[in-house]
Amino acid sequence: MIAVEDASVVFETRAGIFKSGQVHALDGVSIEIGVGETLALVGESGSGKTTLGRLTLRLVEPASGTVSFLGRDITHDREQSLGWFRQRAQIVFQDPFSSLNPYMRVWDLIEEPLQIDGVKRAGERRERANAALAAVDLIPTARFGSKYPSQMSGGQRQRVGIARALVRNPDYIVADEPVSMIDASSRIAILSLLAKLQQERGVSFAYITHDIASARYFSDRIAVLYQGTIVETGPVGTVIDHPLHPYTAALIAAIPEPDPANRHRRREVVPGEPSPSSTAPTHCPFYSRCPRRIPGTCDAARPALVEIEPKHEVACFLYSSASHTPAGTP
Amino acid sequence: MSTPLLRVEDLLLYYRAGNHPVHAVDGVSFTIEDRGQAVGIVGESGSGKTSMATALMRMLPKNVESFRGSIQLAGQELTTLSDDQFRREIRWKKIAMVFQGAMNVLNPVVRVGEQIAETLIFDGMEKKTALARADALLERVGLPAGIGSRYAHELSGGQRQRVVIATALVMNPELLILDEPTSALDVSVQAQIMNLLKDLKEDPGISMIFITHDIGLASDLCDSIAVAYAGQHVEFGSADRVLVEPHHPYSSLLLSSLPRLHDPAPPVPMPGEPPDLTHPPAGCRFHPRCPYAFAPCPVIVPPEYRVEDGGHARCFLNDREIAGDRYQIHLQATIDA
Ligand SMILES: Nc1ncnc2c1ncn2[C@@H]1O[C@H](COP(=O)(O)OP(=O)(O)OP(=O)(O)O)[C@@H](O)[C@H]1O
Ligand SMILES: Nc1ncnc2c1ncn2[C@@H]1O[C@H](COP(=O)(O)OP(=O)(O)OP(=O)(O)O)[C@@H](O)[C@H]1O
Ligand SMILES: [Mg+2]
Ligand SMILES: [Mg+2]
Repeated sequence: MIAVEDASVVFETRAGIFKSGQVHALDGVSIEIGVGETLALVGESGSGKTTLGRLTLRLVEPASGTVSFLGRDITHDREQSLGWFRQRAQIVFQDPFSSLNPYMRVWDLIEEPLQIDGVKRAGERRERANAALAAVDLIPTARFGSKYPSQMSGGQRQRVGIARALVRNPDYIVADEPVSMIDASSRIAILSLLAKLQQERGVSFAYITHDIASARYFSDRIAVLYQGTIVETGPVGTVIDHPLHPYTAALIAAIPEPDPANRHRRREVVPGEPSPSSTAPTHCPFYSRCPRRIPGTCDAARPALVEIEPKHEVACFLYSSASHTPAGTP
Repeated sequence: MSTPLLRVEDLLLYYRAGNHPVHAVDGVSFTIEDRGQAVGIVGESGSGKTSMATALMRMLPKNVESFRGSIQLAGQELTTLSDDQFRREIRWKKIAMVFQGAMNVLNPVVRVGEQIAETLIFDGMEKKTALARADALLERVGLPAGIGSRYAHELSGGQRQRVVIATALVMNPELLILDEPTSALDVSVQAQIMNLLKDLKEDPGISMIFITHDIGLASDLCDSIAVAYAGQHVEFGSADRVLVEPHHPYSSLLLSSLPRLHDPAPPVPMPGEPPDLTHPPAGCRFHPRCPYAFAPCPVIVPPEYRVEDGGHARCFLNDREIAGDRYQIHLQATIDA
């Protein structure tokens, strides 16, 4: 469905506290998402998850590398020629509080994309909006359709965001933390709903999340990002149960699960926090925080993503001496 | 039995809003037995966690309609103190709080060390001594030397949260209330902060009320757990018991609705939607969503049934007389889970 190859994204930063400069939000990233498949994108804040999701939707243009949809290269297509793609690929935004126009009723919010697509008959628009509302369990649809976002709970708003993405019957959805603002207890209800839609309609998903345990349940494969690079990727159960990269291992060890034994032990933590880099890394991006770093090796070159066991890839010199050569170098 | 460090009994806090009061805290009781112990208040958004905490700090908004109940700190009744006495003797001195989202509202134009020292200077301490104390506190919460002279925006999220914790510790409180202190942080930074809180429980032996919607996080720190639902604590008890053998259906459904990291079995979604606190359901507040509800549930408010570990649960299933066979089935279900 979607393929990104060796893509890098650089943002120019202007005023503010940082002097003007560049942020390398993504650096040499490749992913593929098959038809009806879900890829989870996880990693700390600022690691590039949203940027990668937006890249697959061509909401940002890469500095290098390619993006293709159903085999068609759309890397440099102009907005005017992306109309067909915009109907088939949708995003559910991170924040249901700021992403919905507070002055529009739910019906109008959901019908807006149809209006843009030129669905002229009001009756057809309403019918499709109601079908989308029903699909996300906002029933009776007439009651929810006539509400304003402020009259709904966070979970209900998040469902409206999903209905808005669904109304175009997309083939591919980027769900950017679709349940982050919802209580853990209601999260699963919404994710189950997405899983159901996936089964019924064969939609492909990029599921961006901080909640790795939910990724296990709602995805097939997982990609772990660190400072704009993929450090590990593989089948979701394999990566969570047998993480290879020290960063993945640290990330997973840091997740507290309900267990009364927890309070009797300290958590193993990696010191420090990631800092955005203004230059593309020339060595392992996790080097300065890594508990297992090999001086002279890990700070000398950047490890390449290498398949260690079937479909399980890791970029770490503990497993392979292959280093990453940026796109364009012979 | 010795006097518990904190005993909250039948606390009630209603807000005025439109024609109907909001039943934000509606008969809440729990205890912290000893110094250095932590109680976790877990519950979904809007269940009244923050309201309960602001009631303990007596930092209430203007639209409070009623506020009653008993709060005893090491045997001293706090609710009868005058506002002035409470401010002079209790707030920040004995009970301090890290507010929800506080790390994002640090003063941007005052150096963080000075922000911490402010309270001490206001209290009459000499500026130099106060700044030295601030530096010591910053070090205690794990920040590198010299950070006191920085501004908030020069710090990372985890560092800012440490500053906020240091600010709350400045008057050596016995009890620290933490309202979602790590929900804005990444898991690895969150784990660093949790380790710090564990240290502070041991030395200097601070007791804590840890508010979160993440029951896993609560289990990382807390000796006992209260499960909040719609303004009440439907269950309270030792973490060892509540997490393993919950005595209230809401607690068990909450636990089974969480996806487990190393278990591929799908979690079970919680049925229904949380209630509107201006019109809480009659009888048991959870009955409209409860798969085990039976005759008395929609009609009678369940009392707090004692549980062996000294805790309690507000559910008729714990009453052998009323629940009959259901009681046995319920017990079996919790043991199976
Ligand atoms: N429009 C932009 N202009 C400049 N820098 C940007 C822009 N968008 C993102 N960045 C930077 O790129 C990096 C990656 O950001 P991104 O939003 O993709 O991270 P994320 O993994 O989604 O984080 P979060 O979990 O906080 O949502 C960050 O350093 C961010 O500050
Ligand atoms: N000043 C106020 N006036 C009226 N209603 C209020 C006020 N403050 C809170 N509420 C309401 O009281 C209820 C409990 O709110 P509270 O903030 O205590 O919940 P919470 O458990 O801390 O939720 P969260 O997890 O979202 O922080 C909610 O329904 C809320 O809307
Ligand atoms: Mg993001
Ligand atoms: Mg709160």
